Amino acid sequence: MTGTEIYKRTPAYEREAREIRLHAPQWKLLLAFDGQRSLSEVALNAEVSFTEALPLTRKFLDQGWIEEQPITLDQYLKRMGARDVSATGAAVPPPTVLHQPEKETAPAPPSAPSPTPPPLPASPAAEKKDESSAAPEKAPAAKPSNRAMRLSAVVDFITSLVGNIGIGQLLVYRVFLRVPPELLLAEDIASVHLVGDTSLIQSEKLQKAIADAVNAVAKRQLPDSVFAPA
Amino acid sequence: MPLHERDIHYFVDVTLAHLNKITGNEIALRDPTIEFQSLVFSAYTGLLHLKGGAEGFVYFTASQQFLQHLHNSHQSRGRITEEDCRDVMADITGTIAHTVHKKFGATLQISEPRIFSTVPDDPIEMPPAVFVQPLVWRKEHAYFVLGLASAETT
Repeated sequence: MTGTEIYKRTPAYEREAREIRLHAPQWKLLLAFDGQRSLSEVALNAEVSFTEALPLTRKFLDQGWIEEQPITLDQYLKRMGARDVSATGAAVPPPTVLHQPEKETAPAPPSAPSPTPPPLPASPAAEKKDESSAAPEKAPAAKPSNRAMRLSAVVDFITSLVGNIGIGQLLVYRVFLRVPPELLLAEDIASVHLVGDTSLIQSEKLQKAIADAVNAVAKRQLPDSVFAPA
Repeated sequence: MPLHERDIHYFVDVTLAHLNKITGNEIALRDPTIEFQSLVFSAYTGLLHLKGGAEGFVYFTASQQFLQHLHNSHQSRGRITEEDCRDVMADITGTIAHTVHKKFGATLQISEPRIFSTVPDDPIEMPPAVFVQPLVWRKEHAYFVLGLASAETT
């Protein structure tokens, strides 16, 4: 199991659901398998760490409650970021900037690439997610540490709060509307790539601004897994 | 009442649906970005200002070749003129405005489409961030750009 597998609940699960006895976090994981998201995404969404999710997933498989969901080539390519078959051999240039407003104040060279792996959740199970309708969580999400924040993990976390990737990406946009651009530009972040951004955020001020924005807009606290290991 | 993300996403859906209708579902999406420093303009742009449920703007911007392909897909195969490019862009932007207006009615005021080439005559104020959704068709690029004035949401 690598985390990229996609599972869905089975008819056997539907028949046995009323008889099944599991702990709440296990139910959360089991119910998160929707035949759409990968194991990693499901674990992130269910706020179960990947290492906890693996044996549970194995158990669900053994019980016949979930089964792997095959996907088409197009779905696979879309998941990998190449959204059509014809794109597999062609590199696509980034958006061309032909005009820059005069109000810009700081240069913004591209962010440095990072070999960090995809985000894996490590926080305990939390309450049921309800997009952005709930009240903000009380504890501020800022993480006072000298650990770098992985922008890709932040984006993935916010996107995972919504069942639809496109709408989740707009939620990310709304979050970043609340982050002062000058803080981002000071970290050389002129843009956020909504898939696979490699930027690492070192500034605690910017980390706090992002955490606060997530809390204000998405009503969620950032999990510890958005931070790179110390 | 500010629009929810799913309502804002309707703009993207409408744009894609219209382009896919013309192209026979050949539009490919690339990964979107959020830009903090600059706006993205290609050769021709159709701009709509928004007020009410969402404050800001949306625009669609495309290369001349992208518009040429669109034009040729349902017109003669001759070389596209500047006027043709503006007409194609006006059609796309007008369709977005019309369809969105039908859905949201008076809760969202949408300006008349403004069509321009290269960069706007009247500068557009850069919001804190813009959402950029790149699209590709026959190796030509276009961009759907959303600029909201604030993060207010329902």
